[in-house]
Amino acid sequence: MTKRMHVALAASLATSLVLGLGACSTGNDSGGETSDDGRGPGATGVIGGTPKKGGTLTVLSNQDFSHLDPARNWVMPNMDFGVRLLYRTLTTFKAAPGAEGSEIVPDLATDLGRPSEGGKVWTFTLKKGLKYEDGSPVKAQDIKYNVERSFSPDLTGGPDYAQQYLADTEGYQGPLKGKHLKSIEVPDDHTLVFHLKRPVAEFSYTVTLPTFSPVPESREKGVQYDLRPFSSGPYKIARYDRGKQMVLVRNKHWDPDTDSVRKAYPDKIVVKMGFKGGQIDDRIIASQGADASAVEWADMQPASVSKVLSNKETKKRLTAELTGCTDMLHLNTSRAPFDDPKVREAMQYAVDKDGQMTANGGPALNEVATAYLPPSLTGGNKSDVLRVEPGGDPAKAKKLLAEAGKPKGFKTTLTVSTGDKSRAEALQESLSRSGIEVKIQAVDPSVYYDTIGDTKNAPDMAISGWCPDYPSGSTFLPFIFDGRTIKEKGNQGNYAQFRDEEVMKRMDEIADMSDPTKANKAWIELDAQIMAKSPSVPLLWERKPLLAGSNIAGAFGHPMWTGQFDYAVIGLKNPDKSQG
Amino acid sequence: MITYLARRLAGVTGVLLAICAITFTIFYLLPADPAAAACGKTCSPERLAEVRHFMGLDQPVWRQFADYLVGIFAGRELGTEPHTLSCGFPCLGYSYENSLPVWELLTDRLPVSASLAFGAALMWLVLGLGAGITAALRKGTMTDRTLMIGAVATASLPVYFTAVMLLYGVVRVAGLLPYPEYVPLTADPAAWATNLILPWTALAVLYAAMYARQSRSSMIEAMAQPYIRTARAKGMPEPTVVVKHGLRSGLTPVLTIFGMDLGGLLAGAVITESIFGIPGVGRLFFDALQRSDQPVILGVTLLAAFFIVAANLIVDILYAFIDPRVRY
Repeated sequence: MTKRMHVALAASLATSLVLGLGACSTGNDSGGETSDDGRGPGATGVIGGTPKKGGTLTVLSNQDFSHLDPARNWVMPNMDFGVRLLYRTLTTFKAAPGAEGSEIVPDLATDLGRPSEGGKVWTFTLKKGLKYEDGSPVKAQDIKYNVERSFSPDLTGGPDYAQQYLADTEGYQGPLKGKHLKSIEVPDDHTLVFHLKRPVAEFSYTVTLPTFSPVPESREKGVQYDLRPFSSGPYKIARYDRGKQMVLVRNKHWDPDTDSVRKAYPDKIVVKMGFKGGQIDDRIIASQGADASAVEWADMQPASVSKVLSNKETKKRLTAELTGCTDMLHLNTSRAPFDDPKVREAMQYAVDKDGQMTANGGPALNEVATAYLPPSLTGGNKSDVLRVEPGGDPAKAKKLLAEAGKPKGFKTTLTVSTGDKSRAEALQESLSRSGIEVKIQAVDPSVYYDTIGDTKNAPDMAISGWCPDYPSGSTFLPFIFDGRTIKEKGNQGNYAQFRDEEVMKRMDEIADMSDPTKANKAWIELDAQIMAKSPSVPLLWERKPLLAGSNIAGAFGHPMWTGQFDYAVIGLKNPDKSQG
Repeated sequence: MITYLARRLAGVTGVLLAICAITFTIFYLLPADPAAAACGKTCSPERLAEVRHFMGLDQPVWRQFADYLVGIFAGRELGTEPHTLSCGFPCLGYSYENSLPVWELLTDRLPVSASLAFGAALMWLVLGLGAGITAALRKGTMTDRTLMIGAVATASLPVYFTAVMLLYGVVRVAGLLPYPEYVPLTADPAAWATNLILPWTALAVLYAAMYARQSRSSMIEAMAQPYIRTARAKGMPEPTVVVKHGLRSGLTPVLTIFGMDLGGLLAGAVITESIFGIPGVGRLFFDALQRSDQPVILGVTLLAAFFIVAANLIVDILYAFIDPRVRY
């Protein structure tokens, strides 16, 4: 592909995917409450204005990071923390709220990559002057090395796009035995050439993932690299006590001239872990001492919503960006009664989604979902092919059930995590209107996904969500509706066990498209086709409610990391007021 | 005594082995698959097989158990070449969720739980024994009734209620103390104590009530013994009668429950540590449960069992020193 074609491709991708995001995240477009000061649930602007340099930012968390090793980091907020503070990737998302935040810009690379051979080969050139925390230069070989590490059986949990896209990787188990991938060429210290199995139009987006950040071979520590990734970003780890606390200090060798995204305002970032969610909310609402310079990591508790919204001052310190994920009720299509498409279609009308919203924190924290693809993947539009009322249509559901030979309804089981019991009860009640009798089985969260992922013993119905890794339908629909992803045990994503030849064939055709605009349109059409076959009922598009302390500035929920604060630009109004 | 000790130590080992085997069996029967959990959200069957092999989960369960036992005494190598992990003596397994050996995680958290346990124990012993002995010596009076009604009332309050009320009243409403954040004793003794006052109190309130009731009844029983009457008849001063004769035998049953309670707390007060955000063994256990981190769950279970059986043994030995009638 010529350079001109690449520019057209990149521009087209940006226009089709990114501009579309605007409608979903540029303010209170969702029916969420608004307030006279323009903030409140659904508000996505910047909290606290522009930060000043210096001070200590505190992050109060209820949990530890699952992984920070860039080969293993694949939980959305953790990716935000890693790629904004500790390591840089070939390209990255802009640090801006709303639509602009979904645009990609070069990071370690000089541009968004240059495709050739119809998008099967991608070449990236590294910027000059990139350094690690010890002052040594970042080399193209180091990015190749980290991509190779992601194949190691001990370095689990990371994004699998390298495995999916790179050519000639069968049987490859990482670089520790001295074997290297031929599909990544490194002609010199500044050039990387990726050879792919098939054209990947959105590869510029793929390389925003932490897999495509540098790890020097000399720093390899296997699984223990997770405890202290070697920094190529603006901060380095000074201390990390698992489950207790992480302290980041400045990486003096990070050169802001090479980085158009990260502002690195605070001198120090302290992540304190293991607090109860409600207490974190209370501390940040009170904003006393160091808590004034603190932000919360995990979602504000639904119980705190009224406390925050009733106070004008605290309301200004709340953000609630859409997570970009879709919550679904999966129907087990592998056996009766949900092997009958007519019964599944009836379910689309039987469910009361308003009830789900109420049970999950109300309109401040959710919107009713009308399609599998979240608005961030459908040009900002909320696709709604079935046009079902949010409260459901029991009469229509009964009619469809009668056509399916079940005029009196049927009995079925729903397995949920114990935390979702109230949602399950709301579902039970709403389905009973159509004669569907639901037996709820609540299981401990620690075994929930193992329970519903055991295909032989899977329940009739289960609730789970899915989030895209970057704004492309390719990171969404194939993971949840491609029948080839079904596994007997540890099944993940395709909990409906949906295997439809027509859908799978279409997925392959879209994957081969080199024009991202056409591919995007095709994903939206396929979403509608799958909705008609109804393996799952889309329930909610959730928001991520987060509070910031009164001394916090530059904070906003970033649309690409499920609405987590963007750590690239967060800082303090008055650094002298911070403590620690 | 030596024979007795040897017999008890053999018993302790047997109990720990049995607990280890039972926990192992439970994990084996559970639907949770640590390899699938570690593997990530889109794990191919081939990759899952590799991960399972790396974690040693493709071995028969008896082999996994045998390797685990050997590791406790001799350490072992985990994983497969060239990714092997060294897990030194005493190897209680490796937490793939934390990227650390379980033993390291436990020893890191133990001082925190010990701070919580010993502080709370001191508080509830002083409060509980003080109230119990006072009530026993003033049996039937208003003081006795008031203390015992108070004890019954506080003993019926679960710790998660007391803890939340303390946080609400002392921290949120009155603002007398900050939200607890553990500070090591060596770093700042004053901050260590200030941050632990509320968790100590939450635990002490519950335990002190039980100790007050237990010590009251024990003391009443002891003070009614003929040797107390004899001591008094001989003209021995009352404080000596109470402390030297009454308390020594009255405390024996209290010591039994104290050993169990302290042993249990050393292995982590799960609820208290979770509510107050104290990074002790209890919260490690809570986090491990959330993440299905089986090696950590097994490690904490063994540690808890060890503390409880060890505390039992120590208490039994202490009997001989406290109560002259006990001989081994």
